Amino acid sequence: MLSKVLIFLGWATAVSAHEMTPAYPIIKPSHVSGVVKVDLSLFNSREEINYYEIGLYDLNWDGIPFSAVYRIIKVGYKERKNFSVYIRESDLDEAVYVCTTSKIRRQRETKTLVSSRICSRLDGMPA
Amino acid sequence: MKYSLAILSLCALPAYADVDITGNVEAKCVIQTDKAGVYGNPSASVLSTAPSDGGVLPVVRFDVALADYYTANITHPSSFSSSPALTDNVAWTGSTSVTQTSDAGMSGYESAKVVYDNTTVFDLTVAGSTWFSTSSTATLAASKPFTGGIYTAVVQASCIAK
Repeated sequence: MLSKVLIFLGWATAVSAHEMTPAYPIIKPSHVSGVVKVDLSLFNSREEINYYEIGLYDLNWDGIPFSAVYRIIKVGYKERKNFSVYIRESDLDEAVYVCTTSKIRRQRETKTLVSSRICSRLDGMPA
Repeated sequence: MKYSLAILSLCALPAYADVDITGNVEAKCVIQTDKAGVYGNPSASVLSTAPSDGGVLPVVRFDVALADYYTANITHPSSFSSSPALTDNVAWTGSTSVTQTSDAGMSGYESAKVVYDNTTVFDLTVAGSTWFSTSSTATLAASKPFTGGIYTAVVQASCIAK
């Protein structure tokens, strides 16, 4: 029981995290004919990160064209941002992954940095 | 006076209203950077994150809310993201391993991992938290010394819906 409480507390007090939902977004019609959209939500609690880049990929991780208000979105520390990704209906058969990747600033120390990337799937939940 | 008391007693009655709190437990992955790594410089031609070389291993934690919805794909560096100008080739090695888990059911993650190129893939089949550490070593060709300056390299931690 104690370990479960500790795990929950660890989760609840996460200080440096990147989170994106949903894992399987719903594809909806957009206001433009021939274009669909997916709505996603990004939460940033990585204090050293302020920008995330959106990407759309096929099963082989080749890029697929898409549109969004910003391809690189500014998300402040402890801020949640909802955003939409617009995809041509003709590209929908190919599009599999929609991802956000943290953008890292140049450093002044000899170190390794961690770039985080979370990808949702557009082709449905696993069976 | 009687009326005033009646009105006052009405005012003193507490007001009740139902306020709903709703929650949604859904498939979700959270990547936490527990520790950024540091390169130690055990010899002039080597930069290494190994603690025995004076380095610090980067540690990343993956939290998944539901089992069997995500894979953790962690890529160790194969180049510097920033460094002084280097005239010789750099040989890179690295690996990623599970260092801590929140559930005994995750004990098989390490043996079931799949490695291709510089990427290690872990199938997150149990809900909870898993800590991964990544080692990285850069060795300059012909044992020449690294030029003085700041060297940074990037570990890519990806959580990918299955």
